[in-house]
Amino acid sequence: MSLFLHYLSLPYLLQGIELTLQVTALGLIGGLILGLILAGMQLSRFWLLSALARGYTVIFRGTPLILQMVFAYDALPHIGIKLPAVLAAGLALACNEAPFIAEMLRAGVLGVDRGQLLAGQALGMTPAVLMRRIIAPQAIRTMIPAFGNEAVSALKNSSLASVIAVQELTLRSTQLASSTFDFFSIFFASGLIYLVLTGAVSAIQLALEWLLDLDRASRQRQLADYLPWRRVDVATKPKLAEQTAADTATPEPAELKETPPLALTSEDRAKRAATIARNNIAVEVKDLRKSYHGHAVLDGLDLTVRIGEVVALLGPSGSGKSTLLRCINHLEHWEAGEIRVGGRRLGFGDDGRTLSPRAIANERANVGVGMVFQQFNLFAHLTAKENIAGPLRWVHGLGRFEAERRAGELLERVGLSHRADALPRHLSGGQQQRVAIARALAPNPSVLLLDEPTSALDPELVNEVLEVIRRLAIDDGLTMIISTHQIRFADEVADRVAFLNGGVILEQGPAHEVLSHPRHPLTARFLSVMDAERQKDAVA
Amino acid sequence: MQKWLFTKARRAWLAALGAVIAAGLLTPIEAQAATPAGCAALQDKYPDWKGKTLTNAINPHTPGYEAIDPKDPSKYVGFDIDLGEAIGDCLGFTLTYKPVVFAALLTTLASGQADIVISDIYATKERAKAADFITYSKVFDGVLVAKGNPKGIHGIDLTLCGAAAAENTGFVEVPLVQDMGPKCKDAGKPEPTLQLYDNNANCIQAILAGRADTYINDVNTVDQAVKAYPDKLEKAIAVTIPYSVGIAVPKDKPKFRDAVLAALIEVQKAGVHQELLKKWELDPANFKEPDILTAD
Repeated sequence: MSLFLHYLSLPYLLQGIELTLQVTALGLIGGLILGLILAGMQLSRFWLLSALARGYTVIFRGTPLILQMVFAYDALPHIGIKLPAVLAAGLALACNEAPFIAEMLRAGVLGVDRGQLLAGQALGMTPAVLMRRIIAPQAIRTMIPAFGNEAVSALKNSSLASVIAVQELTLRSTQLASSTFDFFSIFFASGLIYLVLTGAVSAIQLALEWLLDLDRASRQRQLADYLPWRRVDVATKPKLAEQTAADTATPEPAELKETPPLALTSEDRAKRAATIARNNIAVEVKDLRKSYHGHAVLDGLDLTVRIGEVVALLGPSGSGKSTLLRCINHLEHWEAGEIRVGGRRLGFGDDGRTLSPRAIANERANVGVGMVFQQFNLFAHLTAKENIAGPLRWVHGLGRFEAERRAGELLERVGLSHRADALPRHLSGGQQQRVAIARALAPNPSVLLLDEPTSALDPELVNEVLEVIRRLAIDDGLTMIISTHQIRFADEVADRVAFLNGGVILEQGPAHEVLSHPRHPLTARFLSVMDAERQKDAVA
Repeated sequence: MQKWLFTKARRAWLAALGAVIAAGLLTPIEAQAATPAGCAALQDKYPDWKGKTLTNAINPHTPGYEAIDPKDPSKYVGFDIDLGEAIGDCLGFTLTYKPVVFAALLTTLASGQADIVISDIYATKERAKAADFITYSKVFDGVLVAKGNPKGIHGIDLTLCGAAAAENTGFVEVPLVQDMGPKCKDAGKPEPTLQLYDNNANCIQAILAGRADTYINDVNTVDQAVKAYPDKLEKAIAVTIPYSVGIAVPKDKPKFRDAVLAALIEVQKAGVHQELLKKWELDPANFKEPDILTAD
């Protein structure tokens, strides 16, 4: 015991910690830099880069670190690179850590909900902004535990530097054991030192998790929740859920004002139609063709939408409604045909070539095509207000104050001022969709595309969202293309409905007319099925 | 009177202090006083290394030859360390040390990460493919066994059949033990097994833990182990191995090899070599006139 304490406090061993930490730090920092490059290459659009990164990963993940250490130390000098031992060890450790860190980064990036990326793109974010503002903040949060693991393993792996004469803790321990023959006291002492070091890494990991916890600000989350013996799921989750439920269940004070249902007389309708007919063209789709794996999704589709017009796209699932909407703001590529928004071919250069993702993003922001998704796709790490204000700052260059003011205005318009600081996960589906609409409206788009905006909502939440959309049509005269299954809503709000089937428009015309007197048998059948469904629902 | 006495006492005290300081100053000088006379001429003849600091790769797990000083772990001590420094003094260079596993000694030298290897390494033709050797010591191996020699092992012979031998990776004893395999088989006995470790301490621990039956290595290393665990270990016998211990230098530096050889001759002439054997309690029979061993 006394020998153990003697070695535990021996300066010779304690000085070894410094080198152990140096090698670990070099390995982790170098590994992170290399890992970032590798992950970037693997996720790249260019196959050669991703193939190179794959090859590197296979080699460096597939060979033992001890060989890599010896290689960096003894083989590199033969080609003229003679690194000091600590650097050689750090280099080998970094090269070895890189593929593991790259996989962590890749998993973190791929783990971010695809819908949020689409939403970010639709808002005109360039790939760089998307990475920095949407992907990275969420990916980093999920990666911290894995990175903690990696740091602990790097710390332990640094002991292999003992084979290349780095005087770190393990090498010092073995030398001391050889000259004193106090084998066990020495290794118990150095084992305890390693434990203290890895314990410190774990503590840093927990502290970071606590700092970055999104619920920390809004909920009474305590550092104690992170202690290993604390069962967070049992102790905290029900409490959180209760509070969230309470939030959504309370009657919303600043609820939407009741507006009389839009019961336009046929006279009003005719007048509105006449006005719209004189307006300029907002969106023009000509002979659009697109297929997935040889299956045609859009098969020569034509559609013209004038400024101020509200067009409802109806049709069975798979008829091409969503794909059409995504093509209009160039979230998807297509094979043939032309789309013009405000007279411009979005996403193509003057020579007709497809622009880079970055240039397309900038065009999207300039032309002003807003999009609302079925699954809301709010940025999960941002509050309701920040979901609206953030893109205004990052894409449109508004100042913080100006962006917040606009976000506040829009939240009030959709009746959610009181939930401005709530995270999406603490909002009901209807509230989330209202925030998503506010977010799409924030940059004053010339066209708003809504992709089945109420399909993912519980029936009792559908109306609050429809009400918001209805008012956009009447009060703002916004040009909108809505894909929907809500026949009655289409009848009330849309100027025109277009019935899609098999990637083409089978029938289109004034909403009320098509919906009450469909000419095409497929339209008639679809409408009667939808009607039957609705009545079944009503009975149930 | 009292005052006078006091002064006298103080004088005595000062004289004592002076003696201590003088002794302190003189001791290192005495230790270095052995720099032989012929060395000045050598430094003129081989001026390239004068004032330089060279790196000596060692496997510091062999107390008596090279190991860290248990009293001051920041220093390496042992016969090889002193001999290397005596050669360095003679040619005018100083040494720093790079601790590596035994099997990495020559690769470290070949990659240029070290300039010289003085680490109780046996000079063999096989190893001479990787480095040139200046031999300086005869080899006597000891057979380390558990107290009482329960398996009755008496050397690298038929008594080794069926036993488990612990050795360091890269040791010359490894092929010698392996060669016993067919011989044991011919004698109708089980073959010996080999356990490879990467330092002496691990080999000794293997015997203490009952994993290995014997560890055959330099007799001095064996003696040190027995001294550390007199109740648990013993030396069965010393065997002669047909090798010499050598200083390894890079193959592409014949001038350096010649300089080291010349310096070693001077050091031996001045009696330093013998003194060091005595200082580290090594058998004076180890002494050997230097030779060069190269691959061809």
